[in-house]
Amino acid sequence: MIITRMALPRRTFLHGVGAALALPLLDAMVPAMSAMAQTAASPVRRLGFVYIPMGMNAAAWTPKAEGLISELSSSLGPLMPFLDQVTVVTNLEIRNAYTTGNHASANCAFLSCARAKRTEGTDYQLGTTVDQMAAQAIGRDTPIPSLEIGTDLIAQVGNCDNGYACAYQNNLSWSSPTTPLPTEADPRVVFERLFGDGGKPERRRAELRKSGSILDWMTADMARLRRELGPGDRTRVNEYLDSVREVERRIQKAEQQGDVTPVPDLERPANVPAVWEDHVKLMCDLQVLALQTDMTRVITFQLARETSTRTYPQIGVPEPHHPVSHHTNDPEKLAKLARINAYHVSLFAYLVGKLQATPDGDGSLLDHTIYLLGSGMGNPDIHNHTNLPIVLAGGRTSKLRGGRHIRYEQPNPLANLHLTLLDKVGVHLESFVDSSGKVADLEPLGV
Amino acid sequence: MDVGRAGEQPESWEKVVRKLRRRMMPPPGRPRPDEATYDALVSYLETSLDRSAAASPHPGRTDTFHRLTRAEYQNAIRDLLALDVDVSALLPNDDVSHGFDNVGVGAFSPTLLERYLAAAQKVSRLAVGSPPPSPASYVVVLPADLTQEDHFDGLPFGTRGGTMVRHTFPQDGGYDIQIRLSRDRNENVEGLTEPHQVELTLDGTRVQLFTVKPNRNQSGTYYADEAVDKDLKIRVSMKAGPHELGVAFLRKTFALPETERQPYTAHFNMDRHPRIQPAVYSVSIAGPFDAAGTADLSTFRQAQGRPEPSRGTTSSRSSQARSSDDTPSRHRLFVCRPSSTGGATSASTDAACARTIVSTLARRAYRRPVTDADLEAPLAFYKEARADGGFDAGIEMALRAILASTEFLFRIERDPPNVAPNTAYRVSDVDLASRLSFFLWSSVPDDELLGLAIAGKLKQPAVMEQQVRRMLADPRSHALVTNFAGQWLYLRNLAAANPDARMFPDFDDNLRQGFRRETELFFESIVKEDHNVLDLLRANFTYVNERLARHYGIPNVYGSRFRRVTLPEDSVRGGLLGQGSVLTVTSYANRTSPVLRGKWILENILGSPPPPPPPNVPPLGDNTRGGKVLTMRERMAQHRVNPACSGCHQLMDPTGLSMENFDAIGRWRTRSEAGTAVDSSGGLPDGSAFEGVAGLRKALLARPELFVTTLTEKLLTYALGRGVEYYDARAVRTIMRDARSNGYRFSSLVLGVVNSTPFQMRSSQ
Repeated sequence: MIITRMALPRRTFLHGVGAALALPLLDAMVPAMSAMAQTAASPVRRLGFVYIPMGMNAAAWTPKAEGLISELSSSLGPLMPFLDQVTVVTNLEIRNAYTTGNHASANCAFLSCARAKRTEGTDYQLGTTVDQMAAQAIGRDTPIPSLEIGTDLIAQVGNCDNGYACAYQNNLSWSSPTTPLPTEADPRVVFERLFGDGGKPERRRAELRKSGSILDWMTADMARLRRELGPGDRTRVNEYLDSVREVERRIQKAEQQGDVTPVPDLERPANVPAVWEDHVKLMCDLQVLALQTDMTRVITFQLARETSTRTYPQIGVPEPHHPVSHHTNDPEKLAKLARINAYHVSLFAYLVGKLQATPDGDGSLLDHTIYLLGSGMGNPDIHNHTNLPIVLAGGRTSKLRGGRHIRYEQPNPLANLHLTLLDKVGVHLESFVDSSGKVADLEPLGV
Repeated sequence: MDVGRAGEQPESWEKVVRKLRRRMMPPPGRPRPDEATYDALVSYLETSLDRSAAASPHPGRTDTFHRLTRAEYQNAIRDLLALDVDVSALLPNDDVSHGFDNVGVGAFSPTLLERYLAAAQKVSRLAVGSPPPSPASYVVVLPADLTQEDHFDGLPFGTRGGTMVRHTFPQDGGYDIQIRLSRDRNENVEGLTEPHQVELTLDGTRVQLFTVKPNRNQSGTYYADEAVDKDLKIRVSMKAGPHELGVAFLRKTFALPETERQPYTAHFNMDRHPRIQPAVYSVSIAGPFDAAGTADLSTFRQAQGRPEPSRGTTSSRSSQARSSDDTPSRHRLFVCRPSSTGGATSASTDAACARTIVSTLARRAYRRPVTDADLEAPLAFYKEARADGGFDAGIEMALRAILASTEFLFRIERDPPNVAPNTAYRVSDVDLASRLSFFLWSSVPDDELLGLAIAGKLKQPAVMEQQVRRMLADPRSHALVTNFAGQWLYLRNLAAANPDARMFPDFDDNLRQGFRRETELFFESIVKEDHNVLDLLRANFTYVNERLARHYGIPNVYGSRFRRVTLPEDSVRGGLLGQGSVLTVTSYANRTSPVLRGKWILENILGSPPPPPPPNVPPLGDNTRGGKVLTMRERMAQHRVNPACSGCHQLMDPTGLSMENFDAIGRWRTRSEAGTAVDSSGGLPDGSAFEGVAGLRKALLARPELFVTTLTEKLLTYALGRGVEYYDARAVRTIMRDARSNGYRFSSLVLGVVNSTPFQMRSSQ
């Protein structure tokens, strides 16, 4: 598949109005008066997570050398240009992901490291995910504490995992053990969440104020509701009230932000690109934009869902991903799985490249951001959750130095890495779920 | 476990009954009792279970909070405000539990709340018709794999390809309409070898006829088609409200192009089966821009030197006479107008009118009688906004608040005061009205239903039955097709089905949409004509157009319109099991999957989903044996050798294998992907063995009560918004029995559900 120059901005991306029509979106969007300029002295730390479903072909994924490396593996090849900002970690595991619904738990335990309660009802029980722990700290300063996005538009019916509610398989981020955050795949909707549906700043502020007053009323109304209901239902109302307060806070933030950083009049993405790769890249562009304008500092991006049966004829894999991932050690299937892995990594490399190319304060956006790419499944053929594919990129200002491959002899909890990442962004915890310590090796040697 | 005291341990014994009814106990291969013994035991157990259940009814407790799902929100907006909104742009997907997305919709994260707030803002603006913050664009992109060589149902005769866009224009004003043509990867317009004409119609009247000409040879550069479609653009003056915008090519008579390749029906793929004629890529509508300076439709026609077309004159005149005050949504919303005497309106008469509008709206939106306290806040919002922006702005703000309120967004079922904990109580008439309308319409009750409920009459069985029949006959019951059947049968997954283009070169979006349409029309006929629900499996008719008929090998069907055809006696197509929709969503992109098909049957037809696979399933062995590639059946057999897998796969695989004569897009075949003859022998978990889909159908119909039970349980899950539990078993059996004496008519199942204990009652906390 050849993606021609211009095709994206002209035909699918931008169908704006007026004179801006001819401009590629991102050029028009770069805010000249970005908040970044004012905050250069204090490097903003940001966290991003990109999820790839159904693990990897470990042989093609794992770099041969350990420690400081000069070569990546074939599957990680697309990241070579950024090697000095890339760390590969091998032999991490999620013990709590071993369940009877291994696809559901691979997804939902990736960021929570928690064991999902088996239910098809509303009584989900998982754990607060690492991105949300971060968002509760570093997200307080931005209008949107965290952004949860994906590329699957259709809510699949009937195919969720063996008695585990679809919420586990669809949602990576959980703001509490019982609250999955919806994953948004429509770029236009993501854009409008970030920047509203257009108009002059005064009008946007007026709209925000109106929403604020509706929320005030909702608060009072829920207090009435709480009096009317029994104790069990009151818990629910309390959850709703928390949501209302959180949105109130966001609106206040957005109003303040509006005072400091007038968001430029932007064009909106018109629709969902028909070609999946274009869609992914557009979602990457939006992530860069969201970080760059400091609308949010925490992002989770589900590149594809567990059990995805998407086919990749553009890279010579016309078979659906899920059956291919059950490779039965057939060399042909293994090669195809490796090709899918490399393809997904190349899309991640696109994002990393964009981050690196975007100046931010005293360096690039990549310097001020740590992205984790990975899966909650290791060998998909046997649905295991050990030796997970895990790659870190960026984070130079958080003293993360790349060009390294850390390999553990014995499986170590993925939670250790999450704990370490939280530490990097200033959330200092003693432990995270089943963590046994931090990933000390992430600190550069001799620092 | 003591058989004599089954009624005391319903949770375990209901499971036993389930297995016995399906003849899944003892497992295949073990000695089993004869049919009479089975029946006697089942009937004994059911009787004692029912007796003890009747003694202490357990209606279960539906969640107190049911947030409106996407589909319900969309329908509620349609019914409250006469407004069609694209809900997928407003709200996120709902997660599915127990097979339906209206189960377990209590969570309300901040992100979700933000989305509902933003939706309330947009919807209220559109309903009132106030100006959007800036001119906006709305783009419809046609599916890339849509073949556009032939006429589309719903577009004018004599045209081919294109699309019909239904769009609600926010305001009177000028709008730019731009058509773009589909391009290949070299950026050249596909199929453009000679001039073509593109027709743009508004509400059925031609507005413009564009001509596109190839100019590839003029400029000499590779990207020579750059400007070909740049002039397919026009600014039109539009009245606010919903309009239909048609874009299509005028049909040329042309001889079939000669080709050495197999002539495909699908034409969209540059390399394999290219477009023969150009196709529409997208239609965008941008605006409103200042009406000043834009041509109104009639002056535009004069400038073109053409008379008003005679057809559609009436509609065009009426649409031009329409002021923006006359949009359907304003008509529905503004149930009174502020009295304006000599242009001056007083705040107090305005206030009286606002109160009428807001209370009418709140009653419909909250689905109950409203009190003064309910109106206080919305009217305060009205007042504040009116002071800033006038009457309409006031109403818009009150509407926005109501649409964001918990009372609208949630169905809240409160325990009545003074009910002891854990007691079964009768659901109030008003709550019952909502249960009914969300079940049958996926929407709010209408005034008639709500009126009866408020008057306390809905609990009368005769009134209830009359309402159910009225609601089933109402077009809003189409929600049972799109929302219920769309989820039960996995039709929603069709949109994500992308069969391998190399193996199935003739698959395109036309076929995908045809599949969906067939099953929707088929299910709708079962509902509307009140069939025996077993016809879902055995009907001797289906719905096809030319394209689908050709796919199925049904002769003598021409044109794009879907119509009912009677199938011959020996047809393989009768009923759901022969429909392309079901067969495609249970296949992978490049092959059939007996496992997925078997699981689908077990889950959706027999109601006995296989248990989860054990953890750490060892991998299947190699795909080949002695250098020979294994057939699907041999691979499946390998599945069943392994004891860790065999327990479930011996239930799923034989069932799925019996459907192997249908390929991954539902075509009939006698050779498999591997080129070997298809062996379609199969079996059911009850140990029966048969040949092919005809045998499967016969075996399923041999125990009709299993399918009817499954459908009943699916309907009950959907109606209650919760999973069906062991304590619902008696209700399910009662519905079944009553339906049997009514020939299993669809309405008898619905009435059974509506009259059942779990639907009529609820346990207190």
